[in-house]
Order: sequence, then structure tokens, then C-alpha cells
Amino acid sequence: MTDVLTEFLRPRDEPPSYAQYTAVANALAAGNSQQTGRPPLKVAVLRNFTVEPLLPVLAGEIFRAGFHPAFYTGDFDAVQADVLNPASPLYAFEPDFIIVAQWLETLSPALTTAFVSTPAEQVAAEADRVRGHLREILAALRASSRAPVLINNFPLPAEPTLGILDAQSAAYQTNTVLQLNAGLLAAAQEQSDVFVVDFMRVFAAHGSASLVDERHWQIARAPLSQKALVPLGTEYVKFIRALRGKARKCLVLDCDNTLWGGIVGEDGLAGIKLGPTYPGSCFVALQREILNLHDRGVILALCSKNNEADVLEVLRDHPDSVLKEEHFAARQINWDDKVTNLRRIAAELNIGLDSLVFVDDNPFEADYVREQLPEVAVVALPPKAYASYRSLLSRPGYFDTLSFTAEDRRKTAMYGENRARKELESASGSLEEYLAKLGIEVEIGPPSEVDVPRVAQLTQKTNQFNLTTRRYTEGDIRAFAAASDSDVFALKVRDRVADLGLVGVAVVTYDGTTAAIDSFLLSCRAIGRGVEDALLATVARHAAQAKGAERIVGTYAPTSKNAMVRDFYARHGFAPVDETPDRATWSTSTTTAPGLGVPTWIHVRNGDPTHAVR
Amino acid sequence: MPSANESKLKETLAGVLGIPAGTIGEDTSMDTVEEWDSLKHLNLVLALEEQFGVSLTEEQSFEILSYPLIKIVLAEHGIEFAA
Repeated sequence: MTDVLTEFLRPRDEPPSYAQYTAVANALAAGNSQQTGRPPLKVAVLRNFTVEPLLPVLAGEIFRAGFHPAFYTGDFDAVQADVLNPASPLYAFEPDFIIVAQWLETLSPALTTAFVSTPAEQVAAEADRVRGHLREILAALRASSRAPVLINNFPLPAEPTLGILDAQSAAYQTNTVLQLNAGLLAAAQEQSDVFVVDFMRVFAAHGSASLVDERHWQIARAPLSQKALVPLGTEYVKFIRALRGKARKCLVLDCDNTLWGGIVGEDGLAGIKLGPTYPGSCFVALQREILNLHDRGVILALCSKNNEADVLEVLRDHPDSVLKEEHFAARQINWDDKVTNLRRIAAELNIGLDSLVFVDDNPFEADYVREQLPEVAVVALPPKAYASYRSLLSRPGYFDTLSFTAEDRRKTAMYGENRARKELESASGSLEEYLAKLGIEVEIGPPSEVDVPRVAQLTQKTNQFNLTTRRYTEGDIRAFAAASDSDVFALKVRDRVADLGLVGVAVVTYDGTTAAIDSFLLSCRAIGRGVEDALLATVARHAAQAKGAERIVGTYAPTSKNAMVRDFYARHGFAPVDETPDRATWSTSTTTAPGLGVPTWIHVRNGDPTHAVR
Repeated sequence: MPSANESKLKETLAGVLGIPAGTIGEDTSMDTVEEWDSLKHLNLVLALEEQFGVSLTEEQSFEILSYPLIKIVLAEHGIEFAA
């Protein structure tokens, strides 16, 4: 990698300059995916305004997310020509993501600069026309491409043509734009894997006046100011991270001067700053934000140089501590160095270091972790700027995902339940005895409509127990489930302690008498029970009995994360067929397979096919 | 000795245009550098304003078509270059 790229990736507090982004984008365009060692990611940008100033930030942030970006930029205001023609250069580019960048002033002067001269009855008709135009674009894209589509909504007018009168009627400009945005959301929801990029929120949060450059709008139809580029570029890349399994999963927190003001070991329970008045109120606000993340399914952990008893006293007994002991799935409260402790936390939770976000107020600790563990995202809280802590944590969107499933709501509770299982384990003689005591029940069958988001989410997020690491959208999963030459299996697990929900997925394709396992994965919280054996046995039985398959072929594609399943097929009696550095292929007979069977301690129920997606 | 501002200007131009900083000199202009098209020019204005903490007028954003002209315009904003 060139110096420009290495320097760009070096962790630090201040964001890169725009000049740096331009240099990075040029270095990426001049190099290729082999040179940077990052998989390529192709992004098509269709637009009715000049997006070019935004592209360097997109390129840099996509690179930071772990990919080597390539761009296709559609001709100015020629979106329809691109999307309606299946032979257009857009589809020949085979994009992984499609950005539809729309500026309302180009789309409809009648609803923007000329609003006051537009007759009332024409406003509704014009809004309908714009909505129909956007719907048509989205439908055409979906008909010819499976790539996720990111389409922006419209910022509210900063200077409505009617001035203060504008807010006095629902028929005026601001409310018309709000209605139009609601219509765009409805149009997006009609299609699978179309996502709304909330320009309305970004412009409100940063200020429309500072995000629009009237000068470049008039000169080059480039409305975005220099201040707009980083917020909007990073906003787009949040979607790419979420859909490509790059969202972070676990928040690791320091305690003193992070979760409360002061040092509990010195100031005591009554002396620390945590309560309704400043500065204690800042820590309550931060704790509240952390609890929100917990409730969204983010795993919480503590990493503090402290006496454990002092910290637990705060969590158990302090009346203003929003966070309680049970919210934390792991804790390393001791006097060891934080790098060692972060490694322990990742190992205990069975997640990668690149799933961690570490928060500390001590610049030494923050720098040490950045230096030693560059894959960990570090939030360095500036000393004494307590009021800024909450937004420093939430603004980067480290944990943003595009689904919020029942499993997410339950996830951190599940980690607590794992502790209950461990207690059961220590009371059992052998592992098998323990597993028998657990009373594991699995249900395996085609996903229902409500299961589809979770199935897609698992393909996007699972890294370790994942044989091929193929990321699929909800549309992909529906297509596999509906086709006659492929099947999707969803694995649900419950035991005596709790219901783990949907934790495993297999995708299988059929060709003649061969069944090929396209994807096979298990969420890390279900590892170690043998439920994968039940899934594999069910896949093989279904292939033989319902599809007439005689052989079943499995693939292992190595990544930096999935070494734990390197021998998965060997362990299940598959014979090696072929091996290259990128993939190993294995095969076995569906009928005589010696290694396929359900462990005695697991009770299997067949999933209910009545509500399966078709 | 090139001034610090001169180095910064060359770095900025090189980054935006994707050309080596060493190739930039008094004859560098929109006419002599293929990469310097009207879209890159837009990015250049944004990067210069950021790096030198200035805000160019509409007229100035059209005037800065070469390395010497950029220096003249930045000098109008009090940015000094060695003579």
C-alpha cells in the first residue's frame, strides 16, 4: 500500500481533511484490489446533480470499511436512460451498490424555487409526478439488478418561498416536502433492499445553510458544500458496512471518568459524579445512550483498572446508575493492561477484535490500544469535556444495522443466560451429560416471511462459523427460497434456559443428482451444542428424499475469521474433492454418509412449511 | 527554499489531481495537465479553501486556472509565498 493509504488508515482523533480524501481516492483509482489486499466493491452513482466532490469521501470511507472501491457515475440527470435500459452501461458495470442521488430543485422547480407561483391544485399533482418518477426508477432498478439501492430523501427548504407563512398551512412548501419524503419511503418499501438515506436528518443536524454551497450550485450544479461531504459520505458508507458484515457488535467501556465522574476507588460511592446535576448529569446521559445501544442488541463489556468490588458497588447500589451489572455480558476489572483485557473479552464473547468499540477517557490507554490493536475502534473521550461524551459515542454509527429483529432485542439477555448455562455445566460431570441436561430442541425448516430479515442479517453478520461467508440481501434469500433448484433452511434453537431464536442458516442449490451447500453458518452464541450436526443431517436428508440428490457437495472458503470450520466437512465424513488457496471442496453420499446424524441430546422438530416464503 | 505554503499548495494540487507533487511547477495549468478537468477543478476549490482557511469569491474560483494564478489569488487572501 502507498504511504497515502497507510497514513489514511492510521487511527486518530481528528477526521481526515478533504484534501487527504482526494489524494486517497486518486491512489485507490490508480491501484487495484490485489495491491491493497481488499475485496473490490463496485458502486454505481446515478444522479441529477454534480456528485463528483462527494466521490473522494465515499472512496476513502469504503476503503476504511475494508474494500477497494470502484465507481460508475451516470451521466448528469440521465437516471432514467440508465435504469430503464437493461443493456445500459450501469448494468454492464455489475454494481454491488447503487446510489440514486436526487436533488429536488432539479427534479421539480415547481416544488422548490417556484413554489409560490405554483397553483395549489398543481402542487399535489406535481408531488404525485415526482413520487411516480422515483417509484419508476426503483422498480426498473429492481427488475434488472439485485444490488442494494441507496436513495436519498429531500432536505426541508431552508428558505421557503412563503417565508414565515410557510409553516402556517399543511398545503405549503415544507409540509409538501415532508409528504414527498413519506411517499419516497413508501416507494422504497415496495421493493426489497431499497434503503432511504436520510438527507433530511443530516441537513437538519448539521444545518442546511452550511451544507449547501450556492456558489457551486450556480456554477456547476454541485449543491453540496465542503462541510457536507464528510457527513454525507460517511452516512452512505454506514449502509455498506451494515450490509457487508462490518458493523461493530460490542461496546467496551472504561469506568472512572467514563461511566461516572471521578475515581470510585478514591472518591467512594457517594463521592463520584453521577446524578441529576452537572457534571453528573453528563454521565447519566452517556449511560442512557449506552443503555439504548444495549437495547438495540449491542453487547456491553467493562474494561477497567479498578477493584472489581468498587465497580460492582456502583452498578448495584448507586441510585443514579442507569446501567446495572446484568447489562454487561463480560467484564475485565483488574490491574492488567487493557490490550490483554480486550483480547480476553473478545475471546470470552467469541467475537473478533474488529467487532469491538473501546471507550476510554485516558489518552494513554486510548493511544496504547490504537497502537497495539488497530482493528479495535477507539473513542477517546476528551478529558473534562463531559457534555460531549454522549454524541461522541453515538455520532459515528459504529453499531448501525438495517434490521432490528426480535433476536436483537433478546441478544444481550442471551449472553447472561450463557452464564447460567456455564453454572449448569460446572455442575455436570461430562460434556454430554451437560448437553443432555440442557434439553436442546431445534426446529429446522424453510424461513417464513418474518424470518427473512433475520436470515439475511445472519448471512451479513456471521464471520466465524461460516463456511463460505457469502453475504445475502433479503431479496437474495427470497429468491433462493422461491426457486425450485434451491432451498433455504432456517435453524431455531431453544433449551431449558432460554429460547435462542433463529441462529443458523443453510442455503442449498440442486443440479441433477448433486446438492451443493452454498452457505452454512451458525451464530456464535449457538456454537458448542452440536446443533450444526442436526442442520447438516436435515439438509442431507431433504436433498436425498425430496430432491433425489445422491451426492452432497460442500465448500469451505477461508477468511481471516473462519478457521474454526476449516475441518467441518472432514469431521462429518466428507471426502476431499479439490483444494485451492481460495476454496476447498468436499463431497459425500446423501444415503450412506457415515458422518451425518443428529446427536442424541438434541430433539429435532421440522419447521412449519405453511408460512414459508415463496 | 520553497516556502511551507508552497509545499502545501503542491501537495494539495497533487492530491486532488492524482499527479506527483514533484511535477508541479510554474507551468502547471489546466491546459498542461490532462487530469485537471472542470470536475476536478470543483474539488480543487474545496480542497484549497479547506487547506488555506479561505473562502474564494465566485470570480476567483474561475480565475485559478494555473499554479501561478492560484498563488496570486491566495496572496489576495493574505497567504504568503516566497517571491
